[in-house]
Amino acid sequence: MTELWAMFLAYVRLGLISFGGTNVAEMERVLVGEQGWIDAGTLANGFALGQLMPGPNMLAVTHYGYAAAGLAGALVATLGFYGPTALIGAVAALAWERHRANPWVVAFRQALLPFGGGVVLAGALVLGQTSVTSWMGAGVAVAAFLLLWRTRVNSAVVVLGAAVVGALLGL
Amino acid sequence: MTPLDSTPTPLALARLFVGVALAGIGGGLPAHTRRALLARGWMTEEGFAETFTLAQLTPGPNAANLAAMVGARLSGRLGALTSVVGVLTPGLVVMLAVSVLTLGGTGDLSPTLQSALRGAACAALAVLLTAALPVVRVGWGVRGGPAVVVLTFLALGVLRLDLLPVLLAMVGAGLLLHRPRRSG
Repeated sequence: MTELWAMFLAYVRLGLISFGGTNVAEMERVLVGEQGWIDAGTLANGFALGQLMPGPNMLAVTHYGYAAAGLAGALVATLGFYGPTALIGAVAALAWERHRANPWVVAFRQALLPFGGGVVLAGALVLGQTSVTSWMGAGVAVAAFLLLWRTRVNSAVVVLGAAVVGALLGL
Repeated sequence: MTPLDSTPTPLALARLFVGVALAGIGGGLPAHTRRALLARGWMTEEGFAETFTLAQLTPGPNAANLAAMVGARLSGRLGALTSVVGVLTPGLVVMLAVSVLTLGGTGDLSPTLQSALRGAACAALAVLLTAALPVVRVGWGVRGGPAVVVLTFLALGVLRLDLLPVLLAMVGAGLLLHRPRRSG
């Protein structure tokens, strides 16, 4: 029981410090090095599986929790990682709505929107450097982009189609 | 601002986010969220850009925060809860099943699966771009926006600087530029 509580607190902390992206380095340091709950192989496999899961990529934490302490561990890890940050998000969004008319909130919004544009472009660049590793891959990305941009086809169909193409081409 | 079609119930939001989660295999949840919200007329392009940027600013895994914020904006506290539960549940169930299976064996992924994963990742990048461009367009339209967009992109994407100092510098500059002026 105390072990599960320690686990919960560790995942709460990991969730709160993954700011604008996931802090995999810190996860490795805490889960593998400091606590020894999982080994490096489990960390890598869980991460790859997380990319395949429907939903947030970091459901890898569910895998880590299960590896360490079965079903209870999986639930504790998931709740700890996602619960508190979602709560903060909801509170922030509600406060934002309430003070919409405040001139400083208006100014903050004007300051924030261009920053947000820069952040998503940077994210696309970082993701592109890790996910597009060949000309064929780049072709798949361009084809997917044109499909999404020009048609109303469901994006899941495009992603799954690309997965099939990737398997066939042996990307 | 275009008028919106309707406001969703918490249950409708849960359904939307279960769909978003199922679509978001390989990433790109914010993009799927945008597509789903705009298709139903529950949020405007501007409203989404604003919420998305706010979600980037709060600590934590982005996708769940975005769900919480969208839910809170459209349907209050209960909406936030149902949205987060909706976005997490499908993956949680599948991940548990996979964990039970793989942790029993060696847990290595087959080469075919890895190739499929790489294909999905390329498409996920495209999905991300379709969501990023509208956000960039909204930011570009603000006074002084283009400079901030470009500088932020260079600082975070090319120089890989820490988010927090870049955020403080850029948003600080924006606040100065757009500070409320007393009329009269």
